[in-house]
Amino acid sequence: MNRFDMNTMKRDLIEKFRAGLLTQAEQHMLESMIEKEEITLEELSLENLQDKLIAIEPPVPSMDLDHKFYAMLAMQRKSTSSLNWWSQFKIPTLVPRFGLAAATLLIGLAVGYFLRPTSDGAEMSKLSEEVTSLKEMMMLSLLEKESATDRLKAVSLTQDMDQASQKVTAALIQTLNHDDNVNVRLAALDALHPYVKDSSIRQELIRSIAQQRSPLVQVALAELMVAIQEKSSVKELKKLLDDKKTPRDVKKKIEQSIDVLI
Amino acid sequence: MKTLRPELEALSDNALMVKVRDGDVDKLGLLFERYKRPLYGFFYGMNKDAELSEDLVQNVFVRILKYRYLFRGDGDFRTWMFHIARNVNHDHFRKNKINAKDSLESWEERLGSTENRSTQFQAEEEMQLLSMAMDQLPDDKREILLLSKYQEKKYKEIGEMLGCTESAVKVKVFRALQELKEVYRKLEAKY
Repeated sequence: MNRFDMNTMKRDLIEKFRAGLLTQAEQHMLESMIEKEEITLEELSLENLQDKLIAIEPPVPSMDLDHKFYAMLAMQRKSTSSLNWWSQFKIPTLVPRFGLAAATLLIGLAVGYFLRPTSDGAEMSKLSEEVTSLKEMMMLSLLEKESATDRLKAVSLTQDMDQASQKVTAALIQTLNHDDNVNVRLAALDALHPYVKDSSIRQELIRSIAQQRSPLVQVALAELMVAIQEKSSVKELKKLLDDKKTPRDVKKKIEQSIDVLI
Repeated sequence: MKTLRPELEALSDNALMVKVRDGDVDKLGLLFERYKRPLYGFFYGMNKDAELSEDLVQNVFVRILKYRYLFRGDGDFRTWMFHIARNVNHDHFRKNKINAKDSLESWEERLGSTENRSTQFQAEEEMQLLSMAMDQLPDDKREILLLSKYQEKKYKEIGEMLGCTESAVKVKVFRALQELKEVYRKLEAKY
């Protein structure tokens, strides 16, 4: 179909449309031409009708619509904010948070483990050794003092030591056996209590029994022997019984102790 | 009507809807102010029931809130909103299985009432007849003309909404206008 024929057909269709005389076939053809944009609504005088339709003012809703809408919006805002609050505790939210917290903790522990101050630990133990050594020196020097009070202080210093050295225990036994003051000797005996598991110290304590002249120390040693069930001390205790200088009350106490030990 | 700050007025529909989607639900108020009347006009044009139309407008905004996360922001908000409006309208009539009151009878009733004459028909006679003619169109034809009116003849967008091409929309509009013209002529002869 050439352009002239096309234009003729188009004009014919438009006229028939305006007159309301289109056949069904012509209607299809017209629609096809509209689809292909060969005929516009304006050409069919329909654009005008459509514009009139558009020009009709839309109706105005009542204020009820506004009230309902803003009430709904307020409710939504409220539920959204409460939802946000609760959402902090929702499982899907909590799981990654706990996971993150656990991972952070583990990383912290691992970093702490690898970066732990190993040299500090060594330094601390070295420092502790130095302090103990100083205490020992102080104790030994105080035992040399003339004042019984100083010597008592020296004996009490050993109670602050976790584990006294052999030098200290030897000094305590020396004090127990030779100190002039009974109280100092009794304090030395008390200070030796923690070390009675050591057999050499036990032997020294047994030997000390015969050397004691103070009834108080004799009785204290006899009670200690009973407490530690040291049967080998019986021989030494009997020496005290045979000694005429031993007071009668002490002899009685020693006899009781020997009875328990045997 | 709420008073709006000019800087908020200047925000595009899409920018506002993106804010609503991201949790700033108050911004829906601005969109409501912009579109409550076209939406009401669309529903009222479809059912001629003022109260029902208001409820349906409300339903549109409820759905917008409910499905706000589906708004991607790359399409046209107005098209998306009218798409929801169409669904709201169809769902309502499908659910209630009631059709709008017979439009011609409705108009005749109103024409017969002097009260309505004085309040509702103050526009020009031509506009009155055109409105009457609209009410006599089948639902699908009335809908396409209302969409074309409130979507400002954006046939491409209407095509997206209806699931057809822009050319197909033009043909639908043509058929609807053709029938409208016919009904209008008959009414003109009658009154």
